[in-house]
Amino acid sequence: MATHEEITASLLAFQESYNKNERLKQMNRDWDRVILIEASDIPSRHTLELRGGELSVREGAPPRPDLVVIADSETLTDLFYGDITPTEPYMNGTLKIIGSEDDIVRLDFISLMIWGE
Amino acid sequence: MKRVVSVSLGSSRRDHRVEVELLGELFEISRRGTDGDFERAVRLLQELDGKVDAIGLGGIDVYLYAGKTRYVVQDGLKLMQAVRHTPVVDGSGLKNTLERETVYYLREHTDFLAPGTKVLMVSAVDRFGMAEALSELGCDLTFGDLIFSAGIPYPIRSMQELEELARKILPEMVKLPFHMLYPTGKKQETQDEEKVRKFGHFYQEAQVIAGDFHLMRRYMPRLNGQVIITNTTTPEDVAFLKEKGAGYLVTTTPEFAGRSFGTNVIEAVLVTILQKPWEEITPEEYLECLKRLDFKPRLVPLQ
Repeated sequence: MATHEEITASLLAFQESYNKNERLKQMNRDWDRVILIEASDIPSRHTLELRGGELSVREGAPPRPDLVVIADSETLTDLFYGDITPTEPYMNGTLKIIGSEDDIVRLDFISLMIWGE
Repeated sequence: MKRVVSVSLGSSRRDHRVEVELLGELFEISRRGTDGDFERAVRLLQELDGKVDAIGLGGIDVYLYAGKTRYVVQDGLKLMQAVRHTPVVDGSGLKNTLERETVYYLREHTDFLAPGTKVLMVSAVDRFGMAEALSELGCDLTFGDLIFSAGIPYPIRSMQELEELARKILPEMVKLPFHMLYPTGKKQETQDEEKVRKFGHFYQEAQVIAGDFHLMRRYMPRLNGQVIITNTTTPEDVAFLKEKGAGYLVTTTPEFAGRSFGTNVIEAVLVTILQKPWEEITPEEYLECLKRLDFKPRLVPLQ
């Protein structure tokens, strides 16, 4: 089990890698989304916000998220550090993403662009 | 009589059956759509296994290529593995030969693909041979793989970038349910109006639009005389393209009874003629067989 602080650190690592990737920022300029990241095994909620291609992270839940990402704390930490890809936990149900199919594909894509290969 | 059946995840409204004589042998070729129902497709494949001469998988790819790397679409593989006795193909083996040849044929016989021609390929990883041939001819290429499969308005402009992005993304994306990446079933009969508005300019800026017809159709805006290079078109599809304002239709596969069949069907026919496992058939053998059959691209003026 990971802690809330470890999830925060993984999200900040994800944000740093994202914001260093100019091509990825360009790809997402049209995709403004508020994403709730919620741990299923500990009280931990974070908000990822994409606006104009820039990604920000803050602690706590947003009022009206466009997407909700739910998994146990360990999976979330592994995911945002890039130790695992989202596809398999999504397919086996460990990772739940609530939102439109288009948005789910896009979120998967962002993660692969950061950590892929 | 040889029987070849294409089992498709696409709409059953496009089903058809023809009889055609090829190299002195009578073939019954039919297409059976399962309306995007994966389990129905598996059951149908199991029913046909051992009872027909070859099966084509339509509305889905099993193998995608970028450079020398082959990526296996997991859903496609599950369908292929449902068949144990009858040869089953997805058309990817033939695409590499037939669609390259189509590009070279158009260079020789038309002025559609002069160097610098702006070409939109709605998706290139399912037609890498065509993408490479267009690149060889010096066309100004836009690959729409991210735009039309992932909704990301990022045009890929070179083969190098296509291969680089494929290396990052495809090993994982191929594990997703295929319907998340490609229009299956009823989606093949409708247009995504929001994306038509958002991405239509990529079509309008091109002189030639090439690639998978269902993907192309789903996001196609009003055109202004563009050349369309594709296959699997029905008379209704031809009417749709005319109405949209396309200038020419080039189909890479021959027409039987008003239908241009998918490459999976033609590959299944060739496998039946060549009587070899598809993994052992070389591009040269496909090419030689296509010459014997006198298969040529079909050019249809639309305006």
